[in-house]
Order: sequence, then C-alpha cells, then structure tokens
Amino acid sequence: MCAAEPRSPLSVVAVPAHPMIAELPSAIVDIAARRGRAGDLAAAIRAEFGLDLPPPGRFAASGDTTAVWIRPETWLVMAPRGAEGALARRLVETAAGAASVVDQSHGKTRVRLAGAAAPRVLAKGCRLDLHPAQFGPGQAAVTPMAQVGAVLLQRDATPAYELVVGSSYAVPFLEWLTDSAAEFAGTH
Amino acid sequence: MIELPRRPRLRTRKGGHVDRDRSLTFRFDGRAYQGHPGDTLASALLAAGVRIVGRSFKYHRPRGIYTAGPEEPNALAGIGTGARATPNSKVTTVELHDGLVARSQNRWPSLALDLMCVNSALSRFLPAGFYYKTFMWPAAFWEKVYEPAIRRAAGLGRASALPDPDHYEACHAHCDVLVVGSGVAGLAAARAAGEAGARVILAEQDFLAGGGLLCEPGQEAWRQEALAALAALPNVTTTLRTTVFGYYEQNMLGALERVADHLPVPPAHQPRQRYWTIRAGEVVLATGADERLIAFPGNDRPGVMLAGAARTYARRFGVLAGSRAVLFANNDEAYGTLAALAEAGAERVTVVDPRPLGPAAAAARRQGFEVLAGHEVTGGHGGRGIYSVEARAIGSAGAFQIDADLLCVSGGYGPAIQLASQSRTAMRWDDRIAAFVPGDAPGQRSAGGARGCFGIAAAARDGLAAGQAAASAAGFAAKAAFALPEGDDPDATVAPFWEVRARGKSFVDLQHDVTTADIRLAHREGYRHIEHAKRYTTHAMATDQGKTGGLVGAAVLAEARGETVAVVGMPTYRPYVSPVTWGAVAGHHRGRAFAPIRRTMLHDWHARRGAEFMEAGLWLRPAFYARPGEAPWDAILREGRAVRQAVGICDVSTLGKIDVQGSDAATFLDRLYTNTFSTLPVGKARYGLMLREDGMVMDDGTTSRLAPDHFFVTTTTANAGRVMEHMEFHAQTVWPELDVQFASVTDQWASMSVAGPEARRTLAKVIAGLDISDAGLPFMGVADATLAGCPVRVFRISFSGELAFEVATPAGYALAVWEAILAAGAEFGIEPYGVEALGLLRIEKGHVAGAELNGQTTMRDVGLGKMAKKGDFVGKVLAGRPGLTDPARPRLVGVRAVDRERQIRPGAHLVEPGSDRSLGWITSVTRSVEPGGWIGLAMLSGDADRHGQRLVAAFPLMNEAVEVEISSPHFVDPENARVRS
Repeated sequence: MCAAEPRSPLSVVAVPAHPMIAELPSAIVDIAARRGRAGDLAAAIRAEFGLDLPPPGRFAASGDTTAVWIRPETWLVMAPRGAEGALARRLVETAAGAASVVDQSHGKTRVRLAGAAAPRVLAKGCRLDLHPAQFGPGQAAVTPMAQVGAVLLQRDATPAYELVVGSSYAVPFLEWLTDSAAEFAGTH
Repeated sequence: MIELPRRPRLRTRKGGHVDRDRSLTFRFDGRAYQGHPGDTLASALLAAGVRIVGRSFKYHRPRGIYTAGPEEPNALAGIGTGARATPNSKVTTVELHDGLVARSQNRWPSLALDLMCVNSALSRFLPAGFYYKTFMWPAAFWEKVYEPAIRRAAGLGRASALPDPDHYEACHAHCDVLVVGSGVAGLAAARAAGEAGARVILAEQDFLAGGGLLCEPGQEAWRQEALAALAALPNVTTTLRTTVFGYYEQNMLGALERVADHLPVPPAHQPRQRYWTIRAGEVVLATGADERLIAFPGNDRPGVMLAGAARTYARRFGVLAGSRAVLFANNDEAYGTLAALAEAGAERVTVVDPRPLGPAAAAARRQGFEVLAGHEVTGGHGGRGIYSVEARAIGSAGAFQIDADLLCVSGGYGPAIQLASQSRTAMRWDDRIAAFVPGDAPGQRSAGGARGCFGIAAAARDGLAAGQAAASAAGFAAKAAFALPEGDDPDATVAPFWEVRARGKSFVDLQHDVTTADIRLAHREGYRHIEHAKRYTTHAMATDQGKTGGLVGAAVLAEARGETVAVVGMPTYRPYVSPVTWGAVAGHHRGRAFAPIRRTMLHDWHARRGAEFMEAGLWLRPAFYARPGEAPWDAILREGRAVRQAVGICDVSTLGKIDVQGSDAATFLDRLYTNTFSTLPVGKARYGLMLREDGMVMDDGTTSRLAPDHFFVTTTTANAGRVMEHMEFHAQTVWPELDVQFASVTDQWASMSVAGPEARRTLAKVIAGLDISDAGLPFMGVADATLAGCPVRVFRISFSGELAFEVATPAGYALAVWEAILAAGAEFGIEPYGVEALGLLRIEKGHVAGAELNGQTTMRDVGLGKMAKKGDFVGKVLAGRPGLTDPARPRLVGVRAVDRERQIRPGAHLVEPGSDRSLGWITSVTRSVEPGGWIGLAMLSGDADRHGQRLVAAFPLMNEAVEVEISSPHFVDPENARVRS
C-alpha cells in the first residue's frame, strides 16, 4: 500500500483553527445508478451496508457509513478514511454493475461544524433556512455557500453539521467558515 | 457695560429619550460640541445652535436640518476620519457617539463663505436639462473639458481613497412574518404575529424602537410594555439600526444593519455593517408616513424645517429648534407641533394656514396661538438662518413680515410607499389624505400610516389586524388580543396645497435643487410623463429619493398637464430606499476573498521553490520558478530548454477531468466529440475535439478508455465547468435515454507531466508494476502502476512535442509522487516548469490552446479539419454554414520574427509590406528554445500558400512593425517522431 499518508487539502495553506470546526478525514465515493438499476442498487446497498439509500433532501447512516442524496439517483457514500480505495472497491463489488462508482476520497473534503451558534455561522453564506422547524437531523442539501458548491447535512440537534466541498475549494471555504465563526470562538 | 443678548436655552430640562446625565463630545467642521446619549448628530447640532450644515448640490445654497429622519434631503455630512471617513451621511440618522468627527460637504472654502454659490446667481442659466443642452458640442470637449469641470463643481461628499479597515457580512434570514418599522402599527403587528406563534423579524431603521411613539410621552408605558412583550417571545427577533432597503421577487427583501456605525471602532470579530437577505413568508409594511413640504420661494433656507421634525426634536430629543416659530400647514395633524414647541420653551408660535378657519385653528386660538387662516407664506428672509417670514392673505398682494427664527412646514402626510412600490404593488390615490396608498399584494400588507391610517390608536388597531392576518396566512391562528393605545383619532382629511405661486425659487427637491420652474420647463420641452420629467430634472433621484417633495413635483407636473395627480402618478420606486455601502454588498468577498482561490495539492511546494504564481480562472498556477537574480524570461527559457534537452516536470492538476461511465458512455462521447471514441481500445487515449452547437470549437483534450463502459475525459483548465455543463445538458435533455453517468474528478486526481528525452529513464527508476518502454506503454497508452508506493495512472501523452508521460495520482499523494520523480530525475538535470514554459513548448510544437480556441474559430481554422468524422455530432450541421466553410477564412500558421530579437505581440495584425489591409492576426507568442528568437501562432488568410512569405506584424497601439516569416505552425519535430520515441 501507499508509503505516504494522504495529505489534507487544508495543509497547502495555513487555515486558522476554530473550536467549532474540524476536518473529518474520510473515504468518499460517488455512486450513480445505471439507467433503470436504482432498485437493484438500493437492494444491494441495503444488504451490504444495512442502510436505505435516502430520498432527495435526506441522508441515511448505518454505523459509521453515511449515504447522502446529491442528485437524482446519485448518492455520496462516506465513511472514516480506511485503506486507499477500499470503500470504492467494496461499492463496485456491492453494486455489481448497477451503479457507476467514482472514488472522490481525495476530491472532496468533509468538515464538521458543531455548536449552538452553528446556524448563525452558516447564515453568513448559506441561503437555506436552518431553523429547527425547517431543517433538522437527517436532512441534507446541495447548495452554494460563499460561492462554493457544498453538500450540507445535519447530524444531530446540537446542532452538528457536516459540509462536503471540492478539495480545491476547501481552503477558501474554510477561510470563509472560520472567519464567519470567529465571533463565536469563545461561546460555542 | 454691554449686555449680551441672552442666548435662549435650546435643550429642555427633562423629557424625551436623551440621557442628560452623560455628555458626549463631538466635532463638526473642527469645532468641539457636546451632546448626550440618545442624540442624533442633527439633534446635537440643533441643541448647540448650529443652523447651516451644508450647501446644496447645484446652487450651493446654504442649507440646514430639514427633517428628523432618513427622509432628510439637506443635512449630509462626512462622518469619521481617515480610512473610516464616510461621505453623504444624513446627520438626522447618525447616532451620536463620543469622539464623533463630522465635516460639512459641498462647500469651498468654508460653510459660511462658499464661492460656488455664484451658481445661484447664475441660476437662470442653469435650468433643468442644462448639461444635456450645453455640453453637446464640440463632442471632443466632453471628455477633456466639460466632464472634469462638471465633476469638480458638482457631486456630494468625497469617499476616502484608503482601504476600508472594517469588514462586512452578508447574511441570510428567514421568517414567517417580516414587519418593517416599529412604530405603533409595527409593534402591534409584530406582537400579534409573534403571540400567534409565527417566526417574526421586526426591523427598525432607527436606534430606538417606537417610531412616532417616541414623541408621545403619554404612550411611553405602552411602548415599553410592547417591547418587553416582544423581548419575551423567543420567536420574535427585533433588530434595530436595520434599514429594509429593497423589496424583491417572492418576498425576498434586502436590509442593511448598521452594527457598529454608532461606535468609534467595531468590536472584535464584529462587522461594521451586515447586509441581510430576508426571505419572508408574509410581509407587513409598517413604514409610517412621510411629511410633505410645500413649495414656496425660499422653502430651502436654513431655519425652514418640516413641522413633524420640529415636534420630534422637541419631544424626543428635548431640543427647541427655534423659539419664535411660524407653522405653515394645511392639515390638523401639524397643529400638534404647537404644543410641542410651547412645552419646549418657544416664546411664540404663529400659525399660517391656507385653509379657512377650522376647528383645529380655532382650538389653537383658544390656547393663545396667533392663527392666520386663509394665509400663505411667500418667503423667508435671512442668509444663514431665518429672521423673518413673509406671509400674505391668499388672493391679496400685500405681504407682511412675521419675526421668526424657525419656519415649520407641513403639506400633509403621505404613506411611505417606497417598498410597496418596489414590489410593484398597485397604488391607489386617496383623495381624503391627498396621497397614494398601497393596496395589499400576495404575502404583503401595509399597515398604519404606511397605508394612510393616521393617528396612534387607529394605526395600532390596523397594525394588530395586519399582524394577525399575516400570521394566519402563514398558518398561525391568532391569540387573544392585547391592549392597544387609546385616543381620539385626528381628522386626517387634507385639502391639497402644493405650492405658493410667488416670485423666487420654490424647491420640490432640495437635495438636487429642483424647483417648480424646472418641472414646468420639463413639461414645456415635452417631458410630460412622470418618468421622463423625473429623469430630465433629476427630481427625486437623490439619496433621499424624493421622500419629502416627490409628490409635490408630481402635483406641479399634473397642474401643467391640466390633469390630476392621480392620473399623472408617481415614478416607480427602485432599490435602494436609503444608500447602502459597497462594503456591505461585497460582505466577505473582497480583496483576496473576492472569489474562491483554487490551489493544487503542490501549491506549497511551488511557493517554497520560489514560483511566481499566475491566475488561471479561479486557480493559482506557477508561471515560472525564477532562481535568485534570474530574470523571468531567463527562467522560462531555462525551463523550456530542460524539457527539450533533458527532462522537466509540470503540475497540470488544474486540467478538467471528468469520469464518464455507463453502457452508453461510448455512444455519448461519439455524439459530443467530432471524432470517434467507440473504436478506442481499452488502455488507450485519444485526442478529442468538441464543438458548440453553433459549430465553433468549444474545447479539446485527451480521453482515455479505462474499461469498455468507463472513460476518463480531460478538458482545458478554463473550460472544465463549461464542458461538464455541456455534458449534463445533453444527457438530461437531448438524450435522456442513454445510460451514462459522469462526475467531475478534477480535484480527485493530481497530475504532472514528465517530459523530455530523459523522461522515460527518470520514471523508470521509480515506477513499479509497469513497463514504460515504447513496447510496454506505446504512444497514447494508458496504464495503472505504483510510484513511491502510491497508486498512479500513467498516460503516454505529450503537449510539448517531447517524449512525455502524464502521471496522475490521488491528490493526497501528489507531493510524495512529485518529490520522488524529482529525486529520480536529478541526475538528468530535471527542472520543474511552469505555465509560461508550458506555453512556450506548445507554441513551438504548434498545439492550439485558449488563444486559438477562443470561441470564434472552426476546426478547419485551427488546422484540425480532419478530425470531423462522417457521422453526426454536436455542432456538425451549423459548422457547415457557408461563412464557416469559406476557404478565405484565416487559418492557423506559424510566424517568426526575421530579426530574432524583435518582440512580436499577440493581437498584432499581419499585413503585406506597404499595405494596411489586415490578412490576419497573431494569437500567441513566445521567445523560443529551438527555432530561437520570437515566434508565434497566427490566424492568416491564404495560410499554407503563404508559408515562406514575409509579412509585417503591425501593432499600431505601440507604433510597432516587425517583419515576420510565415511558416507551418509546427516549428519542432513536424514528423512527430519524438513523442513516439
């Protein structure tokens, strides 16, 4: 296997740390159902991972594996980083031709934003209404934030959110996020 | 001993909303003054006896404080110093803080003595439309003479030229009910909606909530109770110092929160201002009403003030704006100013009312005020203030003087309809109050004064009803009501009285110096429509948006047209109700954060190596790596030479990469590209060209087949997003039946080009699991391997014309792979090369790039005509248009400066010696390694027929003419032997 640990996209430029924000090193894989095979894919994923591929606007989790709806019949499957390419290979085997599987573990960066002030941080760039009556645990969205396309999901009622962005956008996105969270650094 | 006249006491001993126990020191035009917390700059200046605060825009007439709020047309000042200096601030809305520094504007050299007021004497030569008429000829004079002169003379305050030290935020907010304005109607609406359970935002532009209630000591207990009730509701957010400035589609509104403008410096991590985008389910506009001026000669003088403003200064701020006042009003509501002034210590108030004696006037007489019913004001005397008011009985010629230092004016109240008008809600003329009143629109209600419902008790009832209705529309049932202020509602009926016809300048727009005569002139010259008259005269186009005189101007125009104001109408209002700073509009996104900066996973290595970075779209790429003391071109040529003679390595991670899979993937690519991919064997790459629907070349790149149903497409850096959209569009709308899926993997894979005669020997040292001999990995071959223990995919493709391999690796391993290759290549003299050397190499080789594929060239133009297959593909039909197949179209050639050291430039035109007819143009240039000297690519009519000819590259902008020789664009290895070696 690879001699070097993969570097974080956040290591190419120093981004200030913030107590509400942490990178989640992850294996991230894009699975898109082949035409007419969404049912087969869902059944195969249910059998292998014990989770139901979620409908639009939702994510589903089983153990440490999460599947987020990102486009029609397309999901992002995320798990803690393991051996290089392992999650993608497992998904290729599981889908058995029912999906196009693309490893994005290096192409996407996943961060966690948690704390009572998190909705106020996100309001500085996110157009969505994150009020508990409108957006809660289990919900997900694909939405632009601070000029960057992002996947947003709410993990729990802390509230804790996870954000997934293209890795080459991770630095400017985190610069915006930490800047927006700066006023809450002592109060989270 | 001389007895000095006793200066009247201007600040009352008690009452209002100022904290007299604490003093704040501020400066205005260099002089120190004192005010109190709760003061605006305007109230503090009035309390200090300052009467002139600025000069007018066009005539430089002295001007004083005219209003007590954001409708102020006159009193603009520069606030702050240095980088924080902010021009054109309305002193009536500037919250006083200790150490505030303000400066008057539009005067030179000083406020008291302004030399530009000569414009006033020349005013009959400066009518409306003056600039349009006068500076038309000669045309050449406009740019050099007229415009600079006008700009010097006109304009308001000057912005600081220093970088803004503050930061700004652009935030999003959502609510069930947005209530704009916290007067009695807004408070009642917000509380009703909040108690029903709706999520409510109550936005108030002032730093105190209450609106007109702040002038009603009798209702203070109710105001306090309402605010406490709102504060106790967790679902209600009350935001002060927040101006809702724009009403856009689908109940999206814009607001500006002045977070720290009332502080010398914003607190840590706090912005100066926040730009709010509010998405509301229901909107209640409780914006109140604006008092109208009356047009009469000299109605702009310092000492003239709206009646409601004088009352506000007395009641809210405890400031007496004048002790011998005249009230010129046509409505009963304005009579409330009499008591306010008397209680604040005015010696005398005389009423001039154009109406016959009515009940309000009779009551005023009983209270001891002198009332001149059936009279009108024809002017005021005094330069820097008023010392007497001229009045006459209506219909008589004999004017008389009234000794006065304050002239309060009221032409009635009109609903503040700016936001409703912006949302395109229909307006209805209400004869009773002589004003336009907004109707309701889906998701929108106006309440209280904002829809002509005047009087505290009536407005409160109206606000309550609007709040309940809004909550109900948002799905929240109304709860039991709360107590509302009680009282008799005044008779709001108004007899319209727009103008006193007498000699002199009668202003309808004080900020832009527009007079009744200007409106009539516009009408005479054919600008009869209200929107045309507005633009011709600039009436209501200043920063106050004509809040005090807009309707008066419309009425003057209506009279000239012989029609009613209801028919003439008002111009449609547009954002912004009040000015908004650019900083707030930009929010986080300024300077380096203007747009996201994308960096490759080797960025820090490039920086350590001393790379000069250049922008490529959103990316930062190394242009070249100069050694200490090395000139840029020396570095670029050194890097290019390394590739031609030994080996170089270049970070090409920014190229767009798209993973395409599906049983119909090959069919899909066949339809998108001009050439065929279904015949491409697995493990091979092919150069592909893509057209736009209109037949022009869109993009190029190599596509590799990784499996029968799996392709890896590359695009140019610039077009990555566009190609992805192109694919999405066709997959979703044109051929939805195809089984094809794709994902951008630009960020997943870092890639580096290893090029040069020593490329194979370099890679062979470090690559494992792959034979990279020409037999093992032939030209255009693709295979997986490992390098430094990391997974890599190796593509035998070349952009430089040399033997080359593109090594791609999951981006997190980029540095390990890059450093391993560099170490392996050290013995061969490996050099990292940047975008400039990359460009040099491709120009030498004759490969086209963005400068040639600029959206205006066809396949044939760029020498790739052979790539069109027989079958159909996107763009094929329109590429066959006669204009695109004309053999005379300029086509790709090479150019080389005959004198090798003479620089040629992109954009230069190619002409025959002695001719000025352009035959084509140069697209790309470089100094070269192999042919030597300056070379370039060009688009030239006659192309191949001219190979060997000498032409002139003319660049008239720099007066340059360079002799060039035309050749094939392939300066290096035209047989393509090296890439196959």
